[in-house]
Amino acid sequence: MSEWTEIVDYFRGRSMWMLHYCTGCGAIELPPTMTSRWDMERFGITPMATPRQADILLITGYLAIKTLKRVIYTYEQMQAPKWVLGFGSCTINGGIYWDSYNVIERLDKYIPVDIYIAGCMPRPEAILDAFVKLKEMVQMGEAKGYEKYVKNYDWYKANQDKVLKRTSPVLKEIEKVTKIG
Amino acid sequence: MVIVEFLIKLSQGFGIGALALATGLLFGGIGRKIMARIQRRYGPPFTQNFMDLFKLLSKGSVSHGWAFDLGLVAGFAPMLAALMFLPIGPFTLLPSDSSLIMIVYLMMMAYLGMAMGVLASGNPNSAIGMSRALMLMVGYEVPFAAVIFSVYLFSKTGYLTQIVTQQAGGFMNWNIVKMPLGFLATEIALQGMLGEKPFDQAIAPAEIASGPMVELGGKYLGFGMIQHSVGLFLETGIVVDLFLGGAPNFWIFIAKQFVLYFIVILVDAILPRLRIHEATSFFWKLPLFLGILQAVIVIIQGGVLNV
Amino acid sequence: MNSLLALLIVPVIGSAAAAVLQRYRLVERLITFLTFSVTFLFLFEIKIGDILTWHLDFLGKNLEMGLQITPLSIFMLYMTIAFGIVLTFYNLSERSKMKGFLLLLTLAASNWIFMSTDLIGFFFAWELMGWSSILMIFGGKREEESRHGALYYAMMSIGGSYSMLIGIFLLSNLTGTFSIQSNVSYLTLILGLHPWWVLGIVSLFFVAFMVKSGIFPFHTWVPHTYGEAPDGFVPYLSSVMSKYGVYGFLIFLPLTSGAHVPSVLGLAWPNYVLLWFGSVTAVAGSVLAFMQDDVKKLFAYSSFSNLGFILAAIALFTPIGLTAGMFHAFNHLLFNGAIFITVIAVISKVGTTRMSEMGGIWQKMPLTFLTFFVGIAAAAGIPPFAGFGSKWMIFQAMISHGLIFATVLLFFASIASFLYLMRAFHAIFLGQLSHKYDNVKEVSAIGKITEVFLLGALIFFGILPGFVLDPINSIVNSFGLKPLPTSGYEYINGFFSSINMVSIFIVVIVTFIFGFALFAVVAKHKKVPQEDNYTAGQIPQDWNLTPEMYQFSYDFYEPMDKELAPFLKVKIDGFFKGFGESVEYIGEAIKEIFTGNVQIYTYLAVGGLVIFVIAGWVVW
Repeated sequence: MSEWTEIVDYFRGRSMWMLHYCTGCGAIELPPTMTSRWDMERFGITPMATPRQADILLITGYLAIKTLKRVIYTYEQMQAPKWVLGFGSCTINGGIYWDSYNVIERLDKYIPVDIYIAGCMPRPEAILDAFVKLKEMVQMGEAKGYEKYVKNYDWYKANQDKVLKRTSPVLKEIEKVTKIG
Repeated sequence: MVIVEFLIKLSQGFGIGALALATGLLFGGIGRKIMARIQRRYGPPFTQNFMDLFKLLSKGSVSHGWAFDLGLVAGFAPMLAALMFLPIGPFTLLPSDSSLIMIVYLMMMAYLGMAMGVLASGNPNSAIGMSRALMLMVGYEVPFAAVIFSVYLFSKTGYLTQIVTQQAGGFMNWNIVKMPLGFLATEIALQGMLGEKPFDQAIAPAEIASGPMVELGGKYLGFGMIQHSVGLFLETGIVVDLFLGGAPNFWIFIAKQFVLYFIVILVDAILPRLRIHEATSFFWKLPLFLGILQAVIVIIQGGVLNV
Repeated sequence: MNSLLALLIVPVIGSAAAAVLQRYRLVERLITFLTFSVTFLFLFEIKIGDILTWHLDFLGKNLEMGLQITPLSIFMLYMTIAFGIVLTFYNLSERSKMKGFLLLLTLAASNWIFMSTDLIGFFFAWELMGWSSILMIFGGKREEESRHGALYYAMMSIGGSYSMLIGIFLLSNLTGTFSIQSNVSYLTLILGLHPWWVLGIVSLFFVAFMVKSGIFPFHTWVPHTYGEAPDGFVPYLSSVMSKYGVYGFLIFLPLTSGAHVPSVLGLAWPNYVLLWFGSVTAVAGSVLAFMQDDVKKLFAYSSFSNLGFILAAIALFTPIGLTAGMFHAFNHLLFNGAIFITVIAVISKVGTTRMSEMGGIWQKMPLTFLTFFVGIAAAAGIPPFAGFGSKWMIFQAMISHGLIFATVLLFFASIASFLYLMRAFHAIFLGQLSHKYDNVKEVSAIGKITEVFLLGALIFFGILPGFVLDPINSIVNSFGLKPLPTSGYEYINGFFSSINMVSIFIVVIVTFIFGFALFAVVAKHKKVPQEDNYTAGQIPQDWNLTPEMYQFSYDFYEPMDKELAPFLKVKIDGFFKGFGESVEYIGEAIKEIFTGNVQIYTYLAVGGLVIFVIAGWVVW
């Protein structure tokens, strides 16, 4: 059975589809990573359109609380096995928004992050490096963030609720805004 | 005795299915590689599609109920069924039923099943994608029909196997020489059938979140990939049988298919996406004109098959 | 009692009983159902060649009237009555305002139409059928609209009937007899001498048949009437009543076979014209269908589109053309019946006919959903269901004549049928289920039995078409054509190739088994509710997203409107409306004349007399 798992892990590492959640300035580093200069497709990594199809959730840049809500929703719509890459210092410690009232500081308090890419901005080489590292981890069977999330769901949920409760009145008069016609 | 025969056919059928799938996946991988080279990238390994399919089949997924499951299975099973009637090189599993229109309609069953599955997911993006796919189908099937009918009239038979046999004996006997306009129309229609640019409106990723596939993940997306790969094999295979004289063996057959697919990729690499109504009406102009013209030429040459 | 007569009398008796007991809904329905069943039993008694004649004194003339069973009529009788049984059985649980006694009168009329040997009986039965169905349509749900639908239908029917009546009198004046057979043979005889005369008379008949079948340009009443008719009656209207026209066409089509008329592509030119009427009908029906939002109207368009296929095929009047046409008539009856019965089942549950207000019903009505799915697969011509074989044969019949334009048009109509079928499928059954349909239930046990039966029939006649093709071959034989070779129940023999439906069925089944096996073996899935859907990261509850808002079904093919706009500018409907207005204007003018002034009456009388005398002198 373990050989089978190894084979499965090997192929998972060779074919990782990515959903990029670009919130801030980090998005600009992705086009060169995808296209001719650095070409991430040679590692079997392709951008995908929806969370249902993706294996990697790449989060570039700062996360406002409202954005965090969407990230969590998206992450929960993804299916196991799934991995999260935190891109840039904003996901690590809030970056230049470290003292902002509505930006979270550490992403892995809310969803499990498998690899952080440090820097402001990290260059495409750093992103590729992270992809290769993730591939090795997946093939070794070490990238198990999604299992951690299930196991420690209460802790994550508590952290999420603590900040998300500040977002609750998104709109005062929902009916008025969403009414059609 | 009947059972033994059935089992032999069954195992042969499995073989054909596996071969077609492998060829389709390989073509897909090579296509990606060629595309990468055109864009001056290194590109993924040509076995990338195999790894993708393996990964997809081993990944978890969400289901929206039994209609979703049934639809996605019905999306690739009829494709495999249609394959059993296709002359692949010298070999046809069921030669006595290899009627061309029947194969075309069996393929449509696959599209119908796929449509049912993705629409059962209840996502408006998939509905938009499906409506685009259907509108495109109204476009490309019409010139293709004109070509099918001219081949019928020209060959005076509806069996793919016989159409292939009639082209035996060298390049000058191929239908591509005898019906060049029809081949041209088919080649354009093939671009639409395979959903490559400029006819990829249905699965516009940045526009409608990959359209029909929006809710598919894991094995469901894998089934979609099987459908696409087998469909690629089937559609290019039909064109090879119709115009390029079939093949004496499997490898030459694949080579001919690849030539067709290569043209499709080259067109795909240089053209942008059309808007959907432009794409549909495009098929009703030049390709349909070519197809009809070919049919008229055939009728004038060969006369009418009066009963 | 003579069984031929029984086929007319039993429904009339049943009708009287149903009319008396109409207040007791269930009893009335039961009587309707039982009468259909008893009529069906009498069918076993009759055989090809049975004949019954009687004499009638009419205006001093001794007219011979009669009933006769030909292969065509027995095929039609079996088809219509069997479908009637299925429908009336389903209607036992249906709550729409369908009047059983009118349906039974229609049945009597329909039996008479199929058996009549003389034009008087034919015309009388035609009128009886027309009027009983018109009265039926008055009982639709929306009173105002259903009256409009019924009147529209009545006007078109009356127009057709007048045209047929003039034809009948012209013919009988020429030959001195009302017998259909001798009239047709007389027309065949003089076709070489007076082609225009013959054509004129036959066209008068064809107008009536085209109106009844909804052939272009007389298709305009179909959507209005089907859209407003009582739900329980629509399947009968579209599956059975549209076939009377086909039967009518087949009476006169043998005229041109073997006669010396100029031909186009080896086809007598009147047939060629008729074929184009059929092809244009097929395309017009398909294109108009996918712009509809009312489900009954959508399938009304679909229905006459298929009649166009049938007409195009039988107009060829070759063995394969005739076989294909009759086969498609049978298949159309079957799949259209399945589609309409499931559609009215859904309408009765959700209480609307607008497709943009439905959606996601498959979760609530799985069996209805499956029946509808197989129905549309058959309608789209997908093997191995009924409907594939006939379309496949129609294309071969057409192309064997080198009719490339018409064939491509028909193929276009066939692909376009895919569009409107998918649109209806999506809008009714798939997509998001609205919360207002949370309490919708599957149909009752009676409905389930009907649906399973139709599902089985669609598959059975799909894989064993020989059971239909055998009687069709004897029809073809009776028209003096050489029937297609038969080689077993599972084969369909076309012009270019023949296929074994059972082997296709087995292949499809095996691949499906393989598919489900693969589905079960690979990684597991998780069932999620419809709310858990891709929304580009947006959380549905935050934005008060309702299922109705997340269902895309209104204006489904909007981009096509622009491409098809030039074709839609032609408004046949408008023509008839204008015609109606001018008739009204003339009527007003005539009313003005009748002011009571004696002088004007005298003028009119004298003028009329003069015209009458001149006309009589010229004609006689």
